[in-house]
Order: sequence, then C-alpha cells, then structure tokens
Amino acid sequence: MAAETVIETEVLVIGGGIAGCFAALKAKDRGVDVVLVDKASVGKSGGTAAAGAGYMVFNPEWGHDLELAMRAVARNGEYLNDRDWTETILKDSLGTYQDLLAWGVDFPAGDGAIGEQYQPLDMKDSSGMRAMFGQVFIRRGNFRVLARQVGACGIRTLSRVMVTDLLTSDQGVVGAIGFSLDDDRIFVFKAKATVVSTGASSLKPVGSGISSLTGDGVAMAYRAGAGVTGKEFPSKFVTLAAYPQWRSYGSFVGYPRFTDAEGGNVELRNVDNVGFWDLAMDNAIHQGKGPIFWNLETATEEDIGAIREAVLLSEGSDLMIRRTALTKPGAKIELAGGAGAGSSDSMTSGVWPVDRDCATSVPGLYVAGECCGTRYVGSVHTARGFGLTGSAVTGARAGRGAAGYALAARRTFVSDGELASAVKVLRGPIERIGGFTPAWVTQLLQNTMFPYFILSIKHEKRLQAALTIVEFLRDDLVPKLTARDSHELRLAHETRNMVLNAEMTLRASMFRAESRGQHYREDYPRREDPFWLAWVRLEETQGRMKAVRIPIPENWWPNPGTSYSERYPQRFLGEQL
Amino acid sequence: MSIERIDAELCIGCSICVGTCPVDVIRMDSKTGRPVIRYPEDCMCCYYCELECPEQAIYVAPEKSAPLMVSWR
Repeated sequence: MAAETVIETEVLVIGGGIAGCFAALKAKDRGVDVVLVDKASVGKSGGTAAAGAGYMVFNPEWGHDLELAMRAVARNGEYLNDRDWTETILKDSLGTYQDLLAWGVDFPAGDGAIGEQYQPLDMKDSSGMRAMFGQVFIRRGNFRVLARQVGACGIRTLSRVMVTDLLTSDQGVVGAIGFSLDDDRIFVFKAKATVVSTGASSLKPVGSGISSLTGDGVAMAYRAGAGVTGKEFPSKFVTLAAYPQWRSYGSFVGYPRFTDAEGGNVELRNVDNVGFWDLAMDNAIHQGKGPIFWNLETATEEDIGAIREAVLLSEGSDLMIRRTALTKPGAKIELAGGAGAGSSDSMTSGVWPVDRDCATSVPGLYVAGECCGTRYVGSVHTARGFGLTGSAVTGARAGRGAAGYALAARRTFVSDGELASAVKVLRGPIERIGGFTPAWVTQLLQNTMFPYFILSIKHEKRLQAALTIVEFLRDDLVPKLTARDSHELRLAHETRNMVLNAEMTLRASMFRAESRGQHYREDYPRREDPFWLAWVRLEETQGRMKAVRIPIPENWWPNPGTSYSERYPQRFLGEQL
Repeated sequence: MSIERIDAELCIGCSICVGTCPVDVIRMDSKTGRPVIRYPEDCMCCYYCELECPEQAIYVAPEKSAPLMVSWR
C-alpha cells in the first residue's frame, strides 16, 4: 500500500467546476489557505466542461423588476421555490457576472461591456405579465479562464484526485480522504472547513456528457450527516436515438416540432418554454404512440441554420453536426428519452443549506453549485442560464462562508483508528479478490432506474419494485465491488455513490404523494395544496434513510383566491379538474 | 467505438488529452511517453479531447460503443 500524503489547509474545496472555482477564489480573498481538488481537471470537469450558452443575469438597470421576477419564478416552479434563495441568487447574479468578465470570460454575442450582449429571457407571472431576465452567452470551453484565475491567485490545486469520503470528528467535518488516479497514492486532507461542489447526480446516462457527475458530493455529505432535498424531481433530457451524444437541447428548443408515430403533434409541455418539456413525450410513449420524432419535414434551410447556430453556441464546435449529419430539411429523426435519466434535477436537488452562506447542518461542511439544494427554481428545471448562475452564486457564498468559519475554528482531526477505517473503505475494492465489477453494477442500476415508467411516469408499485432492487444493490453488491486499478477504483466509488443517490430519488418520489413540476405520479396526478406546499428532506436516522416533510412558509403559498387551473396551467395525464 | 484513434505521427506527447478527459479514458504510456486509449468503454463521446488537442491528432467517432440504454425507445 502506498504511503499517505497529508495535505493541511484551512479551506478544502472538492470539485473544480464553476462553483468550486468561485468558492476557492472567494475563500482566498478572505486571506485563508485554500486547496482545490478535482477527480478530473480544475475548470474542465463535470458540468462545467459541458456548460455553454446561457448565464442568467438579473439587473434592474436593464429594466428587470424584482417583484415581477419573483412571481414569475414562483409560478414556473409551481410555488416550491425557496424565495429567500431565489431573491439572493437574482440579486447576486450581476456581481458574479462582473467577476467572470473581470477574469476574462469571453461572451461571444457582444463586445464584453455589461448590458451590451444579453438576450431578454421572459417568464410570465400568473396574471400574464412578463418578467425579464438577462441571458448572456458563454461558449463552451470558456471556463478554462477559471482554472487560470485559480492558479494566478495562489490556490493549490490537485487534479485527478478523487475524494471518496469526508472525515468527521465530534466537531463536524474536519477534512476528507481520496486517492490519485495516476499513482494510487492516498491523500488525507486536514481542513478547518470543507466546501463540497462536485456537481449534479446522474447515473452515467448515455449522451449528455455528464458521466462524471455521479452525485459524489451529495453522497459524501449525506454519509457525514447532512440532509438532502429535491431528489424527487428528475432531470429530464431527450436525445437522438442513433447518436445519443447529441446534447444540444437549445437546438430542440430552437426548432420544437415533434411528432409521434401516428404523425400527431407532441406539444412542448412547459410554462413559457423554460423547462419541463418532455413529459408530453413520455406520456405519448406510455400511451403506445412511440417512437417520437424530431420532425424537420417542413424545416427550411434557415431553420437548419438556426439549429447549427444553437449547437455551435453551446458546444463551441460544429463537430457534432458534421459527424451526425442528420439535421437537414425533410428529416425525421428518432428521439430517445432519458439522456439524463436517473439524474436528480441539478438546480433543485442537493444538500440542504441551513443559511445564506451555504453552511449545512454539519459544522465545517459547506455546499455549492449543483450539489447545493437551494431549491431556488422550485419543482421545474428552469433552463436558460439559471443553473450556471446558481452555481456561481452559491460557490461565491460557500467560499466566503467557509473561510469565515475556518478563521474562527480550532484545528482538530480524526483519531488514527478512524483514519485507518476510512482508508480501508477507500481501498476495499482494490484489496478484495472476488466480487462484482463496477461496470456491471452500474448497468444493473441503469436497467432499474432508466425506463420511463420509473422516474418519468411514477407509480408507487413501480417505485417500490425499483427500491427493492436498489436496496439489494446497496446491501449485497456495493460491499463486494472490486477494482483492478485506480481507474476501476474510481468507478467503484462512483457506483457506490450512484446507488445511494438512486435510493434517495426513489424514497423522495414515493414520499411525495402528489404530482408537481417534474414529479409526476400516475397514482396521484394532482397537486395537493396546501399539504404538499412543502419540501422533502432526507436524513439518516439510526442508520436508515428517513423522509421528512418541511412545509414552506404560508406567505409563500399561491394566492388561495385563484382557481387551481389558474395557479397550475400545466395538466398532468389523468388529472381531473 | 467513441474515441477511435490518436494519430502517432501527429501526437507530440503533451498529455493535454489526459488532463482534459472528464472520465479518465486516456492515460500516458510511461514507456513511449505517448497517450493511449486505455479505457475506451467509458468514453462518453464528448469530443473534448479532440477539441483540445493542439495537433488535431485525435478522432472521436459519433457512434456510441455500448448499446443505447435509455428511458424509452
């Protein structure tokens, strides 16, 4: 066994995407020592590498109205947004945008001056008034400037080091443990405060380019005692059946004509075209009308040009278009559901923050980005830049908060015995002789979680059946995972984390006995106001995962004077008014 | 296949591709000092290695090597 490398710091940031880079930079600003670690590469990994296109900016100087914006987000998210967080992220968005400009992010649609290059993004409130937000565009790959900035500020970074668990003493989180993909070395981090910013939780979906986002941070934080929320809201994507790596959702939105096998139109099911838009496809499939096609039969050359532009903007390259060569006038392109299948919604789900600094219920532990459960968009994935902006804002806040905590904290660490058991868990798959490969267990998990009738169209019986399988994977296969080398050791720990995230998704989905936003229960096809004007928080109680209902404040409820269909313009299949 | 080849004649051994791959598909061969496609089964066809390669030595094919596992079909 290789010797352990001990790294001591004041603030440890795990995950080097946009949230982690913001956290590291803002913590460093407060004069503390910061270490940033990533299982791939800082500034290039996870969702940040795939991120392009929109960055939401709210700016009253551009005519944006806070009251109106707040009402629009609440309506779009079906009143399940945490309005304190919504307001915080809207108000902080301009500052993070200015930071990105100062660090050299290139916004291709303009000359770089604030206000010169945004497209208005509008969402209506319940009276039909249009709230405006700014959406500035960033090309893929531009976040490399974050890594440069992190390096320029003297922040120590470690790439290709996967953190597998947080280390906790009776004082809270006091560091973490991980290993190097390059030489199997074990890293022990001793930190006064730790920010977890490892991104969303997917189950390695085909396509999407998010196979590295395996819910590591959510799983680690949960094992360390933190609460988790929003897991019942699935992230829902669609891709091309023949070329599943097609992941330019902007191109679909830009030419949104979909037809079922019988030629019938499949309407976008969404409020104001900002998310929530493929449940209609799942419904059509469920009714036996599949497959669904992206129908370009009446598309013009101009439409195809616009699709190319959308791909170019989000990908920074037209490789995808050239290599797939499907998008031409007259084409009917078969779609496949679930490029993001098994994922929890990146903006709504995550570790429950207890204050505006992104602290958690575990002292010393902060969360940022897509594994921070701010719930700021509510029950619907609100596209168009809300994700990136939420990650930047929570990153900045978590970094400042963690630095403040570290400045006041006294250093403690775990005992040698506890460290030895953490090393044993980390190295388990390598030491084990017989057992199961991570690839096989991951495939079993995907087989269980991906079909549309588990997380898109839910029913208690099917959720229970899936949970029975996932519990078996958790209890009987995960403890016997094997790894031949550091690559497979990473896969083994990712699999362990994905199985835990899947359990959270299923338990939260069973607990919320209603339909709302992206959470559709065939056996409860209506929103249940006011009982389910509430969040679900998962917590470990005596070794078991328990779901708790957290009511949202009454003054955030929708106006009871409005009718159900006014409050909720979207209809679920089977919903009686 | 997803990532299909790294052209030995064009590759300069800079290892940018190793640091770029989010899912650890490419490793450096310590003997040759050149990158090798060590774990192709985990390629998610994101094209990042091809886009980042300064010598255009990498080719990523669009077809997924594994059968499509999706929500519906």
